[in-house]
Amino acid sequence: MQESSPVNILLVEDNPADVRLTREALKQCTLINSMDVVMDGEAAMRYLSREGEFVEAPRPDLILLDLNLPLKSGQEVLAEIRQDKSLRAIPVIVLTNSKSQQNILKNYSLYCNCYVIKPVRFDQYVGAVKAIEEFWFSVASLPKLN
Amino acid sequence: MDTFKTGNNHYQVEAGRPLLVNGERQDLTFLLSTTMLKLKGEPRVLATLQDVTSLKRDEARRKGALSRLKRSNEDLEQFAFVASHDLQEPLRMIASYVDLLAERYNDRFDDDGREFINFALEGAERMQALTDDLLRYSRLDGSGKGFQLVDAGQCLDAALDNLRLNIQETGAKVTRDKIPEIKADGSHLTQLFQNLIGNAIKFHGKEPPQIHVGVGETASEWEFSVADNGIGISPDQHERIFLIFQRLHARGKYPGTGIGLATSRRIAEQHGGRIWVESAPGKGSRFFFTIAKEL
Repeated sequence: MQESSPVNILLVEDNPADVRLTREALKQCTLINSMDVVMDGEAAMRYLSREGEFVEAPRPDLILLDLNLPLKSGQEVLAEIRQDKSLRAIPVIVLTNSKSQQNILKNYSLYCNCYVIKPVRFDQYVGAVKAIEEFWFSVASLPKLN
Repeated sequence: MDTFKTGNNHYQVEAGRPLLVNGERQDLTFLLSTTMLKLKGEPRVLATLQDVTSLKRDEARRKGALSRLKRSNEDLEQFAFVASHDLQEPLRMIASYVDLLAERYNDRFDDDGREFINFALEGAERMQALTDDLLRYSRLDGSGKGFQLVDAGQCLDAALDNLRLNIQETGAKVTRDKIPEIKADGSHLTQLFQNLIGNAIKFHGKEPPQIHVGVGETASEWEFSVADNGIGISPDQHERIFLIFQRLHARGKYPGTGIGLATSRRIAEQHGGRIWVESAPGKGSRFFFTIAKEL
C-alpha cells in the first residue's frame, strides 16, 4: 500500500514564485506529503548525496527538476543522477518553461522520465502537478530506495 | 629604380616590385595580361599591367559589409529568440498569480475588481500568444537542413488537422488540386499552409469559408495558391500584411499577433520562393507562394 508510506519529493527550482506555485498546487494533492526544495543545481547534488547541510535528507521518491538553474544546470543534474548507481533509479520529471524540441530530445536522451512544460494558467499548473502525482504515486509502482 | 606614369599615377618600381605611388608607399594589386601578336612578321608579346588596387579595396569593403550585415541579422534573430523565450517565465508568473487571486479572493472583489482581473488575464494571454509566435518566427533557421522530398499533400493534411476545430466551427470547405511531392522542409511547409488556410478561415465573410488550394508549376518552381471567399484585402495593404506585427483589424474583431504572414514570407523565401496576394475587399483573397525546384 503506497498510500501508507510517506511520499517525499524534491523540487529543484530557483524561482521562489514557482516554488510557491508548486506548493499551492500540492495543497490540492493528497498523496504527496512532503516536499523539499533546493534552489540550485549544486545544492541538488549535495542533497542527493546527503552532504553538508543535507546529511539527514530523505531519499526522494521523485524529483521535479527545473532546467534553468544557477551553478549547475538541470541537464547536468539529470546527467549526474543517471551516472550514479545509487541515484539512477529515482524518477526525474523535468518541469520547465522551455518548449524547444532540442531541449525535449536532449533531456529524454539523458533519461528523464518525463518532460513537462509549465502551463501558463494556474488551473492548468495544478492539473499538471495532480497528473504527475496521480500517475507516479497511484498508477505506477516505484522502487524502494534507501 | 625605374619610374613610369599611367593616368594620373606616378609609379616607382624597384626590382619589378612597385614601391611608391605618387611618392607614397602603398600595397598595390596589379592585373597582368599578355597577348601574343606579330609585329612586322616578328612574334611579340603585348603585356598590359593594370592597377586594380582600388577595385580590390572596394571588393574587400563589400565583403566586409556583407558579413557585418549577416552577423547583425543573426544577432537580431538570437535577440528575438532570447527575448521571447525569457519573457515567458515572468509572464507565466503574472498569469498564474492573477489566476490564484481570482480563485482564492473572488468573493472579496467587487465587479470592478473582477473586471480589472479579467483585463490583466487577457493581457497576459495576448502576450503569451505574441511570445509564442515570435519564438516560432525566430526559430525558422534558414540553414536548409530540413530540406528533403516530402509529399506536400501530407503537409496540407497535417495543417488541416491542426485547424480541425476552426474548420468545424465555421463549416469551412477545403478543396485541392492534385498536390505533388516536392523538395521542402516538411514542418515549415505545414506551417505555411496552416497560416494561409487559418487566415482564410478567420477572415471569412457571411458565407461559410470556401477554400481552394491550387498548384501550378514552371520549369524552375512550384506555385501554390490558397483562394478563399472571405472579406478580402484592399490593394494598398497587399505589401504591408507581410511585415511583422502589421494588422488590419481591431483585435476584438479578428484576434491575432501579426506574425503569421511574416512567418509565411520567411518560409517561402527560405525555399527560394516568394509570396504575394491578389485580393480586393468583398472579392475574397488568393495568396500565392512559390518554392524553387532546385534547393
